[in-house]
Amino acid sequence: MNASDSDEDVYNERTALVPSETPAVPSYRPDDLSMPDDLPTQRAKPGLSRRGGPAAVDGSGGGGGSDQEVDADDEELTLKYGAKHVIMLFIPVTLCMAVVVATIKSVSFYTEKTDQQLIYTPFTENTASVGRRLLNSVLNTIIMISVIVVMTIFLVVLYKYRCYKFIHGWLILSSLMLLFWFSFMYLGEVFKTYNVAVDYPTVGVIIWNFGAVGMICIHWKGPLPLQQAYLILISALMALVFIKYLPEWSAWVILGAISVYDLVAVLSPKGPLRMLVETAQERNEPIFPALIYSSAMMWTVGMASPMEAQRSEHQSDEEAEQSGGGVEPERRQFPEDELEEDRGVKLGLGDFIFYSVLVGKAAATGGDWNTTLACFVAILIGLCLTLLLLAIFKKALPALPISITFGLVFYFSTDFLVQPFMDNLAAHQFYI
Amino acid sequence: MFLFFFWFCTETCSDSLPQQDPLRFVMNLERLPNEEKLCLCRKYYLAGFALLPFLWLVNVVWFFREAFVKPAYTEQSQIKTYVKRSGMGLLFWVAVLTTWITIFQHFRAEWGAMGDYLSFTIPLGIP
Repeated sequence: MNASDSDEDVYNERTALVPSETPAVPSYRPDDLSMPDDLPTQRAKPGLSRRGGPAAVDGSGGGGGSDQEVDADDEELTLKYGAKHVIMLFIPVTLCMAVVVATIKSVSFYTEKTDQQLIYTPFTENTASVGRRLLNSVLNTIIMISVIVVMTIFLVVLYKYRCYKFIHGWLILSSLMLLFWFSFMYLGEVFKTYNVAVDYPTVGVIIWNFGAVGMICIHWKGPLPLQQAYLILISALMALVFIKYLPEWSAWVILGAISVYDLVAVLSPKGPLRMLVETAQERNEPIFPALIYSSAMMWTVGMASPMEAQRSEHQSDEEAEQSGGGVEPERRQFPEDELEEDRGVKLGLGDFIFYSVLVGKAAATGGDWNTTLACFVAILIGLCLTLLLLAIFKKALPALPISITFGLVFYFSTDFLVQPFMDNLAAHQFYI
Repeated sequence: MFLFFFWFCTETCSDSLPQQDPLRFVMNLERLPNEEKLCLCRKYYLAGFALLPFLWLVNVVWFFREAFVKPAYTEQSQIKTYVKRSGMGLLFWVAVLTTWITIFQHFRAEWGAMGDYLSFTIPLGIP
């Protein structure tokens, strides 16, 4: 199957850059989005954003004692805040990877060799010599990355010129395709694997329900846990498509290249994603269509600062990052609750997808569970470090580079060093 | 069908409240005013008629606390009605689907060509 363009679009926009929240908003504005965290750019960079917590601290700590006290409290709250969010992001990332690994291990469809490739990776890897194969995979990567860059820039341009309808429509189309077509394929393969007979009417009802409720939850209003679950599922589906249709070596080179691109595009001053974020911040509007996963949570804080009430959660269509916080206009009405809605951390869906691609590839082609687990642990460690950096720098950061680097290092070293070592130990019954 | 979606999604429940942002997405029911909760519940109920029992299930689960556990408020009785009706619709669908699936699984082999025509996946081996 040749993936359509919208595939790539969806994929591109997954990695979202979520800028950190702007410092304490002095006045309450219902429509204010303090965080433009959308990734309309196609290849949004994966990013993390943290909102709410620090601002709240800033806002409420001001009335306290000396500056030093405020700083100390600030630090502590920041770290506690950071720790909580690390945990809150671990769960969805783990779930996504678990779904992908479970599917890879059980449904053989996704690991079968196929000659079909995405149009973005036209060079085949079935060549005789190693050098040729390497060359082809590098060429595939170059094509893929340039497609992503072009789409990202296109998206930034669209956003700059306020072509919102176009972006919105594009996102809706991509999510339609993901929710209906890919899940249909997936369901078919699962049924074939377990050798059950299913009839068209039942399948039709299931897919229709799954897709329609998904569209409603993601693009409109729905309960947060359900929306999070849908985002995890579509990330997993997308990752599975990549695992199936990207040739072996190309996949690894692409993972490496994407991390580098992410780093560049988010952090460099002329990077498209950075420009996107800045534009959104200037206009003070929600970043629209990117898919961002948001881990919103609520915690009671003893400060009566009403500032952080706002969460500019902007649900974007699939492509965009979905920000999970909603605007809280009611906050002013319930000052006595002293509830502070934490804006949660946002992680772009592209990050989910690439993490899952890495772990899924490790499960599909690596030796055995050692490799898979090593990659999984590496990614989580990388995520921890990235969130720590986020707590320190308080601005949008790319979430891919650290995790993917660790993941790649662990994969190759485990596969080529640790695995044979363990096998030999077991073969000689030597326990250490 | 898609026109239906358009209508459904573009109709916001927040016309009465001035500061509502039409693009705002609600995650937390606690923060919504009661009229909006009612509006949301009603929309989910109506949309479920488009062969969407799952939507009714979401409606029941999401609004259960609002309808039955919370202390009474003006719109609660209406929300209760919608939740109850969604529940009944859901039960109806569950019954229909279970019956159909049972019939299909049992008689698929006997139906011969018709069974194959209806089948999405056909298992290998002897039925």
